[in-house]
Amino acid sequence: MKGILAIMDREIRAYFFSPLAYIVAAFLLLVNGMVFWLIVSFLNNPQARFGAPLELFFGQTIYFWLVLLFVAPVLTMRLLSEERRSGTIEVLMTAPVNEAQVVIGKYLAALIFYCFLWLPTLAYAGIVAYYSEVDWGPVAAGYLGVFGVGALFLSVGLLASALTRSQLVAAILTFALLIPLFTFGLLENLFNDPSLKQALSYLNLWQHMEEFSKGVVDTRHLVYYLSATVLFIFLSAKALEAKKWR
Amino acid sequence: MIEAQNLTRRYGDFTAVEQISLTVDEGEIVGMLGPNGAGKTTTIRMITGFLPPTEGRVTVGGKDLFADPVGVRGDIGYLPENVALYPEMRVSEYLTYRAMLEGMTRAQAKKRLPETITSCFLEEVEGQIIGTLSKGYRQRVGLAAAILHEPQALVLDEPTVGLDPKQIIAIRELIRELGRERTLLLSTHILPEVELLCDRVIIIDRGRIVAEGTPESLKQSWIGATLLRVELKQGPEGVVEILERIQGVSAVKPVDGGHSRFSLECEHSSDPREAVFRAAVDNGWTLLELAEERASLEDIFVRLTTREVAEPRAPETVEPTDEEVTS
Repeated sequence: MKGILAIMDREIRAYFFSPLAYIVAAFLLLVNGMVFWLIVSFLNNPQARFGAPLELFFGQTIYFWLVLLFVAPVLTMRLLSEERRSGTIEVLMTAPVNEAQVVIGKYLAALIFYCFLWLPTLAYAGIVAYYSEVDWGPVAAGYLGVFGVGALFLSVGLLASALTRSQLVAAILTFALLIPLFTFGLLENLFNDPSLKQALSYLNLWQHMEEFSKGVVDTRHLVYYLSATVLFIFLSAKALEAKKWR
Repeated sequence: MIEAQNLTRRYGDFTAVEQISLTVDEGEIVGMLGPNGAGKTTTIRMITGFLPPTEGRVTVGGKDLFADPVGVRGDIGYLPENVALYPEMRVSEYLTYRAMLEGMTRAQAKKRLPETITSCFLEEVEGQIIGTLSKGYRQRVGLAAAILHEPQALVLDEPTVGLDPKQIIAIRELIRELGRERTLLLSTHILPEVELLCDRVIIIDRGRIVAEGTPESLKQSWIGATLLRVELKQGPEGVVEILERIQGVSAVKPVDGGHSRFSLECEHSSDPREAVFRAAVDNGWTLLELAEERASLEDIFVRLTTREVAEPRAPETVEPTDEEVTS
């Protein structure tokens, strides 16, 4: 446990030392701010349909997904690949910690930094609450969805980072893995077979976020994120272990 | 304390290390010596658990590395060959991180820090960012991190590389002091370092142990014959024959193809110097030089590790200077 905390602590510090993290944070805020502004001005139009701005904000615009698909690779690409490239992995793998602890420590750091990136968006809820009423249930559910999908995406990035010593390759690989992961569920619209449709809809992240933003917390979705996340973290630890033997 | 049995590491068809067995007893300093690419780092990496051996086993303090990797890693302080550090961290911050990685609490780390920083001469750079440090300082940060948690066994891969002569002496002093209470395995290609520091030497070449023993015993067993250097003013006819007849001389070799300088190989524990002098007087030769050639560890090392393709070594040996004699 101490080992996990030490690794996590160092990794979080590394995020705050790296200019990349600030670029990601600025980009995320810029896009989110713009989307929020667009939503609010759209809903201000008297002809627009009635709607809650934060409901639209979480997952109902393509921007939400574009940002997430970009943020996950950037946050995770460095985690393990850089250790291998620079050789610091030798210190890590000869310290009294096992592969799982290393991987978990790194993953938690990425997850915490990811949550930190979303923190400023709470201001939007505050702004809406100031001028009108906010239904806090759906907002909380929206954040839960952001957390769940983010946790899943970051674990994919972690695995990619464990597979290569190049940050660039790790980022591209993450992106390449996330695209099918994200779009696979969208295929549901192409099929008529009910059981296939149902199976795909279970994987449809867009659909999931839409439900979360409406305040519907379906535990099946959470189970999906959690189990997939655990799987990818497990695979990362195994990948790290396997690298030794070659 | 550290025990390795039949360590072998293969990369595909290439065998980097073959059947290396070594033990380092408690409180002993053992030096691994070998030319570049001999397999020193590979051996060390297998002992510290970074690289799994293809064959063989390692135990440290009775714990098997394969069965209890985390336990063994905790008992070893390790300075890797390419001291890799996180460039964005400050020195004290990094050392605290390493201490915590080894299972110390932040408070324990804080307590140990000043002492370690002093013994590795890092006071001046304590608050500096590692990325801005010179090679010598980085080396010392790596060493500090290896000893910070007071491990029972220390494994140091080329600990004095990149240091200036003054620092080398100071670090050697530190190593000698550490070796008093701890088990220490170090690799180096600097010969005087081994003679100065180590109780025992293991010479490795092409992945195998070619010689092992105390520096003294190595000298005795590998330079069995003492060499005498003889120089005469003019090499008259029949010198070789006369010299060969002297009791205790087993072989006479002319040096530089000339007729005035000879190298005499002597039988074990015989000193034919007086006889050589008498021979010179009896035959009316002018004796310019008569000296015993002392074998250094370097001779043994070169003899053991020179590859067939290499040029034969000039018989005239220059004694290694005190610093930085490399293979």
